[in-house]
Amino acid sequence: MSNLQLEIKQMIIETLDLEDISPDEIIDDEPLFVDGLGLDSIDALEIGLALQKRYGIKLKADSEDTREHFSSINALATLIESQRAS
Amino acid sequence: MNLLPLTGWLNAAPRGVIAYAADSSVSKSDLESRVAFWMRALPAEEGQRWAVYHKDSVEFLSIIFALWQLGCTACVPGDNRPATCERLRQRVQGFVGDFPVNLVSNDDLSELGIDAGFDAVPEWRVLNADFPALEIYTSGSTGEPKAIGKTFAQLDSELAALEVLWPGEHDAVVISTATHQHFYGLMFRLLWPLVRGQHFETEQWQYTEDVYSRALRYSAFTLVSTPSHLGRINTSVAWAEVADRCISVLSSAAPLQRKDSLSVARLLKAPVREIYGSSETGAIAWRVQSDCSDGGWQAIPGVMLSQTDDSLLIVAAKQLAEPFFEMSDRINFIADGRFHLLERVDRVVKVEGKRVSLTEVEQVVQQSPLIEIAKALVITRKRTEIALVAELTEAGRQELAQLGKRKLLLQLRQPLQDFFELVLLPRRWRFVDQMPYNPQGKLPMDSLQAMFEQEEVKWPELVSQTVEGQVAELVSRMPADLIYFDGHFAGNPILPGIAQIHWAEYYGRQLLSLKGRFDRLEVVKFQQVIFPESVISLTLNYNPESDKLSFRYHSDKGVHSSGRICFR
Repeated sequence: MSNLQLEIKQMIIETLDLEDISPDEIIDDEPLFVDGLGLDSIDALEIGLALQKRYGIKLKADSEDTREHFSSINALATLIESQRAS
Repeated sequence: MNLLPLTGWLNAAPRGVIAYAADSSVSKSDLESRVAFWMRALPAEEGQRWAVYHKDSVEFLSIIFALWQLGCTACVPGDNRPATCERLRQRVQGFVGDFPVNLVSNDDLSELGIDAGFDAVPEWRVLNADFPALEIYTSGSTGEPKAIGKTFAQLDSELAALEVLWPGEHDAVVISTATHQHFYGLMFRLLWPLVRGQHFETEQWQYTEDVYSRALRYSAFTLVSTPSHLGRINTSVAWAEVADRCISVLSSAAPLQRKDSLSVARLLKAPVREIYGSSETGAIAWRVQSDCSDGGWQAIPGVMLSQTDDSLLIVAAKQLAEPFFEMSDRINFIADGRFHLLERVDRVVKVEGKRVSLTEVEQVVQQSPLIEIAKALVITRKRTEIALVAELTEAGRQELAQLGKRKLLLQLRQPLQDFFELVLLPRRWRFVDQMPYNPQGKLPMDSLQAMFEQEEVKWPELVSQTVEGQVAELVSRMPADLIYFDGHFAGNPILPGIAQIHWAEYYGRQLLSLKGRFDRLEVVKFQQVIFPESVISLTLNYNPESDKLSFRYHSDKGVHSSGRICFR
């Protein structure tokens, strides 16, 4: 598990106040919402804010695009890396 | 300005644009054509009830207008979950829109050879004011959802009252994060704009970033939203660019926290108007919070408020089905007929603005063969959420032992999704051998609450960490609720040195290869204090030869502390 993926999982657990789950139980390419981790629309808002706060990520104003970035830990890591690079 | 009547809107409304989709505008004749299409497509007969669920506000509107033209009542559920559909099946003739299979949907229609081409617009009929236009649903205290009918007269009367209260601002385009499937959204982002000739957007937006980019398109806009979104508005968006175009912000579904109300008012430079009401009564009161007070709620024009002996709010208004309605909220009248909202008296609660009966949650959870008995409650941690305390059956205990708690929870959660929206699912579960009844045979709420109290915060909140060889670099935020700030010092909290040394050792052991036992400290210096909420970097450097760990806490203010921990 790379540092960034681990970091994102820790961020999600802390930000969303999740319990009964540790970072290694979150699968990198598993869906975060509904199935998989079972997060809801409020969690999506919270993750959006946390990304902004910690990584300075600005969500593009396009829900379709955002949904894609939020689909899994790997997708979030790609989003963070791409914004770091640019 | 006089509002157009809903009963004769199709005849009375002027031609021209009525709404905006993502990249196009929708005219009245576009809408009329869709109404004609749905009238032809729906096998509906006078006097029937049909369930309607559609994401697109204009399509939704076309369907309900078509049903009205056919003499049918539009039944509007808050969601399209399987359990909702199953329940509706008893009440309605059919389903139209985005419903699960086996029901009439867009796709079925195309299979039937009914295309969505241009439809000749028929002569529109004008409906009677006492026609049952809508049926909506809300959680009842028994656990059974209850159906609430609305006649055109009721709808028109509520809309007229809103127009008296806030008559202007017709040029502002309505942008919304609320769904029209709920009564608040239906009235404020769809029907009210429609009858006053105000343009509205057909889409519901999830993120505040979306709201910003939509706002850039219009010279004036109004935001119809809820505390869930307004409380989580992204402040780093360049709101200043659209603030001049924001005419007002509306919020309902639950009271907005004052800090959120003030923050949104500052960002958008517009009044944040909150509406209090219910599916049964519609909008009945409003407030605008200010720096010095929450203002108190005051009645919307035409609404008379009083209270019962035990402080329950009583509403009288033309928009009600009966002369009076008793709310389940206790209130406290302050000056000038204004009031403060106190607690609800039944087991119906609101989570993220959505109403749910705790009794219903328990009933559904108890359907699982793994659960003997369940008690649902509302707790507030980082957010307000449903929590559950349960006694497992023998089978449940075996599953817990075999699968572990996480897998068992996934299994228990699955069937609940058929019944409840995701935000209403229990987020925290406690399994007990026996419910904590007191000697009087009562189940005290505070002993259930106590099971969900937050553990003490003993660690900084990690922002990032990197490890290279024997050097680790951690960036973390110091949460204000760290136990170490408590009493150190009263009114002026700073992070104690001992906590800093303890963390350095802990992370050193976690991230670097040190194994030895703590021996002593060397050259420890505390140069600058560390305050709550500050972001601090910790650099750890381990020297395996000397078995010493150097630590340095630093930030943009310089070095806070440094030193060496020696092991042996």
